[in-house]
Amino acid sequence: MAGAESVSGHATTGQRDGWVTGTLVVFCLASTVVTIVAGLIQVSFGEYSMTLFEAWKAVFNPEVIFDLNAWASFLFGTARPDMSTDSIVVWDLRLPRVFVGIITGATLAVSGAVFQAVTRNELASPFILGVSSGAGFAVLATLVVFSGLAPFLPLIATLGGTFAFGVVYAIAWKGGTSPVRLVLAGVIVNMVFQSLQQGLFFFADDLGVVQTAIAWITGSLTGTGWEEVRIAVLPALISIGIALAGARQLNVLMLGENTARSLGMRVERVRFFLSGVAILAASVAIAVAGVVSFFGLVVPHIVRNTVGGDYRRLMVGCVFAGPALMVTADVGARLTLGTQMPVGVVTGLIGGPYFLYLMRKQQSMGEL
Amino acid sequence: MARTQQERDRERTRITDDDGVAIESALVGDKLELSYPSSDETIVECARLDIPEEAITALVGPNGSGKSTLLKALSNHLKPDTGTVRIHGEDLDSFDQKELARELGVLSQENDSLGSISVEDLVYHGRYPHRGFFDGPDEADHRAVERAIELAGIEGIRDTELGQLSGGQKQLAWIAMVLAQDTDALLLDEPTTFLDVHHQFRVLETIRQLNEEKGVTVAVILHDITQAARFADYLVAMHDGKLYDWGPPEEVVTEQLLADVFGVEATIEYEPELQVLPKRALPDR
Repeated sequence: MAGAESVSGHATTGQRDGWVTGTLVVFCLASTVVTIVAGLIQVSFGEYSMTLFEAWKAVFNPEVIFDLNAWASFLFGTARPDMSTDSIVVWDLRLPRVFVGIITGATLAVSGAVFQAVTRNELASPFILGVSSGAGFAVLATLVVFSGLAPFLPLIATLGGTFAFGVVYAIAWKGGTSPVRLVLAGVIVNMVFQSLQQGLFFFADDLGVVQTAIAWITGSLTGTGWEEVRIAVLPALISIGIALAGARQLNVLMLGENTARSLGMRVERVRFFLSGVAILAASVAIAVAGVVSFFGLVVPHIVRNTVGGDYRRLMVGCVFAGPALMVTADVGARLTLGTQMPVGVVTGLIGGPYFLYLMRKQQSMGEL
Repeated sequence: MARTQQERDRERTRITDDDGVAIESALVGDKLELSYPSSDETIVECARLDIPEEAITALVGPNGSGKSTLLKALSNHLKPDTGTVRIHGEDLDSFDQKELARELGVLSQENDSLGSISVEDLVYHGRYPHRGFFDGPDEADHRAVERAIELAGIEGIRDTELGQLSGGQKQLAWIAMVLAQDTDALLLDEPTTFLDVHHQFRVLETIRQLNEEKGVTVAVILHDITQAARFADYLVAMHDGKLYDWGPPEEVVTEQLLADVFGVEATIEYEPELQVLPKRALPDR
């Protein structure tokens, strides 16, 4: 039996670092490969026609990759050094979209996973808990009314998301929450915020803004550039870092509130703190890519089904799988459905049925 | 300080066992009134509750008599409306959550069933109060986990996922987790309910062994009075939210108690050992 041979293994020290399983490693490697391939496909096609060879040569052009000035211009917005047209198209127009995809994919997946643990609810996601629509409304209001505040979008989105999350929790709270009550409260708050979002359209000055806003509400990576990367990268790294470090806390939370408290966890405080991190992560994605539906809900499920429910593995899996799926979905949206098609349309079309399938397959759905 | 010492002395003199030797209490509940936040109704009223040091105390009583509520107050899961709970003479409130978890291990009645966690991972969670936010497990953690797994006798299933275990094996895994916490006192809420006889005994034997070898104080809710009478050093009988009687089983378990508290007619044999033989239910009082 498997138990017998592992007993000797456990006698050795340091065994506890053994949560990294072969499945996880393969999963992460496969995700990385998918991300890279999808990214390469993404940069190879577009209105400025290049052969695959030219495009890939531009991507791996050492004169750009090892040019500090180029990176300074990308990451800090300084003047761009001279480079060939191919390089400009690839590095300045197409690659940042891939990077934004990577950032939003990772943050949304992590955010969903954290929410599912904190609420101990399989159906939890930034969308269900109202965070997406709250953050979305805040961002939309900023874009339409206070366009000068754009650099602070993640912060503004976080404020909106936190507010909406607070409202959802307040509605659902009745000496504790249940998965169903939380989902219902989320639906209510979502509807209110979506109405508010639509109401904002009437304040928009021209149709261009409205079209941007609609694309944005659906969740779109169209037209994202280095500026979005600059806005998002730091809060994304911070929130993902904290979420990864908090994986063990999430595992203990999964044991149930009573047990977590008996083990000495200040449950409310940890929950609150990690919810904050998840809101930040989701808000980062929403600030640069809009509301990509189903993503934060489905990706943690896919990862959980593959690498298991241990949050140390689950979180790492999400950080790799999120980007792979987001970049792939974006490629799918752009190349098959038309250049302006928002990625949210694809994630909704695929994520919805997948979730339906999960619901049918599993006997019970709800509490984790 | 002098005053607390005095108080402690007074506590000490309050309870004596058969030979008049003072018994020290690990946990003391004083003038407790307990209710749940959702209602105003007082569920438990208890002037004084003692859980003697290095002994096994069983809380017994019919359903709804307030045993679990009392245990929740002792474990700081429920804040008393009035009164205090002290562990080794110090108020529970003076501990922060992690400090308390190093003093007092608690196993709740309902443990949410997590499917996909291995027994060993679960037991490692018992080390939570001994680790910082970012700390990895150290040598002491490994040792405590090995000891707990050995004590609970679950070496054979350490890599099995919880979802694949029987109820009894699961309970042993949860108990191992609490044992890994390495505390001087343990509170267990109905650890044997719903288990088959084999696993009931394994759970009780594990507790007994822990008590004898490590001098761990145990307060355990047992729902079976016959089992409690044989197993525990002391019984606390609860009835209708009040403490009905307290003491060694030979003194507490009487036909009167079984009639008053449990509503059954029973014969009790004291020789060669205490045995409760329930006969029939008494008509509702």
